[in-house]
Amino acid sequence: MSLGDELRYLRAFHGGIHLQQIEAQAGLKPGTIRSIEQRYRRTGEDDEVLAKIAAVYGVPLERLQFHRERYRKALSAVLQRALETGATARFELRTGETLAGRVCWWDLGAFGLEPEGGGPLIVVQRHAVVDWPMSEPSG
Amino acid sequence: MPEDLRTLRERKKLSLNQLASKSGISIATLIEYEKGEREIPPADLRRLAKPLFANEWDINPRSTPPPSPPARPERPAGPPRPPRPREEKPPQEKRPPRPPAPARSTQIAHLLALAARFNVDRAALEAEIGKPLEELTLKEARFWNGQFMRRIVEERPPKQAIDRRRAYLPEGIDGFELAYLQAQQEAGVLLHFTLFDGQTFEGTVAGFGPYQITIREAGGDEITLNKLAIAYYRKAGGAA
Repeated sequence: MSLGDELRYLRAFHGGIHLQQIEAQAGLKPGTIRSIEQRYRRTGEDDEVLAKIAAVYGVPLERLQFHRERYRKALSAVLQRALETGATARFELRTGETLAGRVCWWDLGAFGLEPEGGGPLIVVQRHAVVDWPMSEPSG
Repeated sequence: MPEDLRTLRERKKLSLNQLASKSGISIATLIEYEKGEREIPPADLRRLAKPLFANEWDINPRSTPPPSPPARPERPAGPPRPPRPREEKPPQEKRPPRPPAPARSTQIAHLLALAARFNVDRAALEAEIGKPLEELTLKEARFWNGQFMRRIVEERPPKQAIDRRRAYLPEGIDGFELAYLQAQQEAGVLLHFTLFDGQTFEGTVAGFGPYQITIREAGGDEITLNKLAIAYYRKAGGAA
């Protein structure tokens, strides 16, 4: 899950609080959080900014730093590699489950996963994926 | 008292060009109106009245034709001019046809690059053409480059049927998921949805937008699920 997805999750968790409200509470420039939430590339380089956001949501800074490394384009790269190699890939979801299987397709919103143990195709929402192995998927 | 169009136009200090652009009537038509060759129809009178700051009835629909210019005085007939002596040109020598221009080096390089895409090396290419590449003319090189370009176009795989457009929000339904959902909706397949908080729903797809999927449950109830709340979904009956 990217930092943007995590911030949106936290925002939803806090009753869908408005961006301007968080920015005002954190003392950030308008548009700062919006740009982080919507970016596909790695973002949120400034730890000072992240610390302010973390304080508003009441979460540790490390949690946001963890998601900073799992930006959307990084997941795209993993999915593409898994698609090309046909290797089994594993994805940890926000629900606590781990799904493993062969990636059949991926787009910007979701990806199709053929489960390792058989069964119908699972359409996994990208924003639900918390973590994935950063190394090559196993073949 | 209505005035002729030309008189009115000149009084308002408008050129023909200005009046044409303001009224939307062509200059040629205006000239005909001004010369009295054509009567101005009521529709055009209305169009002309506005730029002239006048009323329709201030313009004479049939202008008075302008007086014809005075005839030129005839020249007194003089002695007839002697005919000009014709200069005889020397017969031109026929030029020999120019040799065809040789192919440019860039054309040859391009041709080799195109041929390489089809695993055709230089020797095979020369055999196909029937002469060494250095002897190709400009036109021939153009022809062979065109041949290979056509082959590339013909053998190009068809464009992906799915139009990939990035949704405004990251969780939006993109190309592949759109195709998947459409297929499931058309087939009336029962889908099993798992949300972030562990809740599950089952139903057929009644409709979907970029950020929501509406399902119809077995009892006939319709529920709209926010994409952001969905973790994953699959056809009902299989275990995740």
